[in-house]
Amino acid sequence: MSKKIVQIPLGSQHISLLEPVKFKFSCENEKIIDVDSDVGFVHRGIERACTTKFKYDKIAYVVARVCGLCAITHSLTYTMSAESLLEGEVSMKAKYLRVLMVELDRIHSHMLCLSHVSENAGYEALFMQIMGDREPIMNLQEKISGNRVQFDYIDIGGVNRDISLSVEDDIKVSLKELRGKIEDLINEFENNYTLSLRFKGIGALSLKEAQEFNALGPIARAAGLVTDVRSESNDLPYSEIGFKIVTSSGGDIYARNMVRLHEILNSITMCENIVSGIPEGEIKTKFKGKPNGEALFRLEAPRGELMYYVKGSSKPMLDRLRIKTPTFASIPAFVEIFKGQEYANAPAILASFDPCMSCTAK
Amino acid sequence: MSSQFIKAFTNLFKKPQTTTYPQDAIERTENYRGLIEYTENECIYCLKCEKACPPGAILFVPCEDPVPNDKNKKSLKYEYNPWLCIYCTECIRACPKAELALTQSDKKPQIGVKGDRVNSEWTILEQLKKGV
Repeated sequence: MSKKIVQIPLGSQHISLLEPVKFKFSCENEKIIDVDSDVGFVHRGIERACTTKFKYDKIAYVVARVCGLCAITHSLTYTMSAESLLEGEVSMKAKYLRVLMVELDRIHSHMLCLSHVSENAGYEALFMQIMGDREPIMNLQEKISGNRVQFDYIDIGGVNRDISLSVEDDIKVSLKELRGKIEDLINEFENNYTLSLRFKGIGALSLKEAQEFNALGPIARAAGLVTDVRSESNDLPYSEIGFKIVTSSGGDIYARNMVRLHEILNSITMCENIVSGIPEGEIKTKFKGKPNGEALFRLEAPRGELMYYVKGSSKPMLDRLRIKTPTFASIPAFVEIFKGQEYANAPAILASFDPCMSCTAK
Repeated sequence: MSSQFIKAFTNLFKKPQTTTYPQDAIERTENYRGLIEYTENECIYCLKCEKACPPGAILFVPCEDPVPNDKNKKSLKYEYNPWLCIYCTECIRACPKAELALTQSDKKPQIGVKGDRVNSEWTILEQLKKGV
C-alpha cells in the first residue's frame, strides 16, 4: 500500500450533503489524516443590515431569517437581549408560550437530523417515516403562529398571538401520539443493526476533546460534557416545567442519536406540562425607552448554545449586533472528529453533527 | 428489526403524506396569515402602519389626485406590496382603527410575475417617498 496523500473535497455541493460547506480531506489510503474547512458560501450580511437598515424593534423579524429551522430561537434570543436593555417586564404567560414554541422547534429539528442520519445509513424508508412523523409538529406550529416555517411569533414585549383552547387540545393529542412513535424509534436506533452496530464507535469525540475543542449542544452532551444553557440560566422558566439534562457517553454517532431521541422525549414532557398549566395574563406588555448599553444573551438552540451581543446608544438603530451560532463554534470539534476516520464514513459523521450553514455564514 | 420491516411494508399501502396541491386545496388554519386589506374611508392617515412595517411593504406616497378624505391633508395614497409583505400583522397592531381600516384576510396573494413589475415599480414608489 502506498503512503501517498490524496486530497478529496466534500462540498460545497455534494450529493450526500445538503448544506453549502466545504471540507477538504487529506487522505492516506482510506483514512482521513487532515481536514480543512470553509463555511462562508452563503454570507448575506445580516449583522450589517441589522445596524444600518432596520430599527431595533424590527430586528426580531430580520434575524429570524438567519435560519429556517431555528428561526424562533434566533428571534427569541435577540428579543430577550434587547428587552434587557429596555424598561418593562414580560408576562409569565408570554414566557411559557415562548418556551412552548422553542421546544416544539427543537423536537422537529432533532427529528430532521435523525431522518438524515438514517438516510446516510442507507435507510430511506425510515427517513420518509420520520419526516412524516415530523409533519404534525409543523402543523402545530402553524396552528399556534399562523406560519409553518418563518413564525414571526416573538416580538419585544411578548408574543404576537394567543393560544386557543382547541389548539391546546390538538397539542396534547399530537404529542401523545408522537411520544409512542419516538419510543419505537429509540428501540429501533438501539436494536437495528443498520443504525446501532453501524454507528457505534464511528465519529467518536472523547470528553477531554469535547472540552478542549469547545463542542456544543448534543455533540458535547453525547461525549458526556454536561453543558446546556437551559440548566445554566433562569431567564426562561425551564426549572418549573420539568427540564432534565440528557447526557450520554462515547461521543460517537450512536450516542448523539440517543441524546437527540431522549431530548425529544424531554421536550414532549415540557410541552405537555406547559399546555396543561399556561398562566393567565397578557400576551404582550409595553416596553419603554430605546436600547442603551451592552447586552450578551445565550439560549439553547437545537444545535447548541446560541449567543447574541447587542450594543445600543439610545438611538433607533443599534450600534452593533453580533450573532454567534452553535455550528460555527463547533467547527474545531468537527475537524477533530474527522481525523483518523475512514473517508467512506464522512457523510454519515457530517449528518450526525446536524450542521446549519445558513446560521453559520448568515 | 422485524417490526420495522413490517411497518415499512405496510407503509407502501398507506395514503401519501403529501397534499396534491393545487388539485386539492390546502387546509387553512384559524390563524391563517393572508393579505392585509385596507379600507380607505376608515383611514385617519396617521402613518403608524408605514412606520411599523418591518420590510417596508406599506408606503403612503404623495400623489396629485388623492381620494377625497378630510384626514388626508398631505394628499397621500396608500400603496401595498403583497410580495414584499411578511404577513406579520405589525401594521394591524400599530393601527389605531384596527379591524376597520386595516384587517388581515384569509386570501392568498397572486403569484407575482414579471408583468406585475413587482420590483421596479415599487422602487419608483420608494424613491418618490424619499423625495429623490
